[in-house]
Amino acid sequence: MTLLRPILMLLVVAGACGLTWKFAEHHPATNDQAFMALYMHLMPAKLVAGQAGDHAESDAGEGSEARSHGEPGEGEHAGGAHEGAPPLVALPLPGVFGFFDGDPRHDGAQLVMTNLQLFQIAAVLLVFIAFSGVPSYLRSGRGDALTRTLAGFCVAIRDEMVYAKMGKDLGARFLPLFLSIFWFVLFMNLLGLVPGAATATASPYVTAALALVTLLTMLGCGMSVQGPLAYWKNLVPHVPAWLWPLMFLVEVIGVLVKPFALLIRLFANMTGGHMVVLSFMGLIFFFAGNDFSALKSLSIAPVAVGFAVFIMIIEGFVAVLQAYIFTQLSILFVNMSIHPGH
Amino acid sequence: MYIAQDQVIDIARMGAGIGAGIVAVGAGIGIGKIGAAANEGIARQPEAAKDISGGSLILAALIEGVALFAVVVTLLILIL
Repeated sequence: MTLLRPILMLLVVAGACGLTWKFAEHHPATNDQAFMALYMHLMPAKLVAGQAGDHAESDAGEGSEARSHGEPGEGEHAGGAHEGAPPLVALPLPGVFGFFDGDPRHDGAQLVMTNLQLFQIAAVLLVFIAFSGVPSYLRSGRGDALTRTLAGFCVAIRDEMVYAKMGKDLGARFLPLFLSIFWFVLFMNLLGLVPGAATATASPYVTAALALVTLLTMLGCGMSVQGPLAYWKNLVPHVPAWLWPLMFLVEVIGVLVKPFALLIRLFANMTGGHMVVLSFMGLIFFFAGNDFSALKSLSIAPVAVGFAVFIMIIEGFVAVLQAYIFTQLSILFVNMSIHPGH
Repeated sequence: MYIAQDQVIDIARMGAGIGAGIVAVGAGIGIGKIGAAANEGIARQPEAAKDISGGSLILAALIEGVALFAVVVTLLILIL
């Protein structure tokens, strides 16, 4: 029984990686565009039906792909390649959301499932599986090592992060939210380090959704506790009357900028770490050159792989730290919006 | 000094590189000062070590966030 949960968690991770490998769009690349092809792994890849391993449209498809990857077309990924593969899961949206349209061939905006969604679902499943023994451990005091570790971390988050800032009664009402944010972000960050997996938090849209949760909590709870107008009035500390308009503008912008900073911090930390690792790997292909010289690339390979391993160790630490920072700052912001303190 | 039209974009991209470098300098100085102050505080009062370390970790991450703002701007220069 003690091994059941870790094995299930590994199965979930392996299943998500396998589904990504099977269904995500595959862009073959040439050696002179090695860096760009590697960086494309940081962009979300749409899941398409019936495509991986199927090179039936190989000659026409890869010929046009090689030409379309030849130009420096950064940021333009799934538009040109594999014209014939329909998305695996597509949800129609009202036309207002045209910006999020992932499938231009169908009428109307379509929300297309990407490999990021797979790993978000995997992160949620991992949280449920890992914490499945914690309630009975908290009631009876008996649990295996994983359960006790996770319960210990939750107690640490509760006592040192939430209750320390918000007090016991208010903290108890917000504790589920902050625990969910912490473990969700932590599992998404850590999943990004698994080979073959995509980092969901390396997408600004995912971190924007998380920051939006914090922003809506700030605004909603602040306005419901203090009253809608009193909340905006209490944003500004005691200043002389002639300074008040300027300070009000600064504080209103601050309310919007603080979750935006949460977004950028998490997104850039995750993406930056991966970009450095991908750059080191790309150096190997860059040194091989167009003649695919094995000698040159093998000579640079130990150095590149060594640096990449070192950076990945740092990335593991950054993954945990950024989850902690996101949660800590969310606690701070929500607390400041409920108890302005001045 | 005459700059050809097709060189302008490349020089703009060089600006992005220089900007990213200056950002790293700023972040390094800031986090270094936090580390120095934290170590001095812990040396003066070892029983406050936990509070000081906890606070300085958050401050270092905040400075890192500002540095990454600038890195994102640099990436936008390169891409847009």
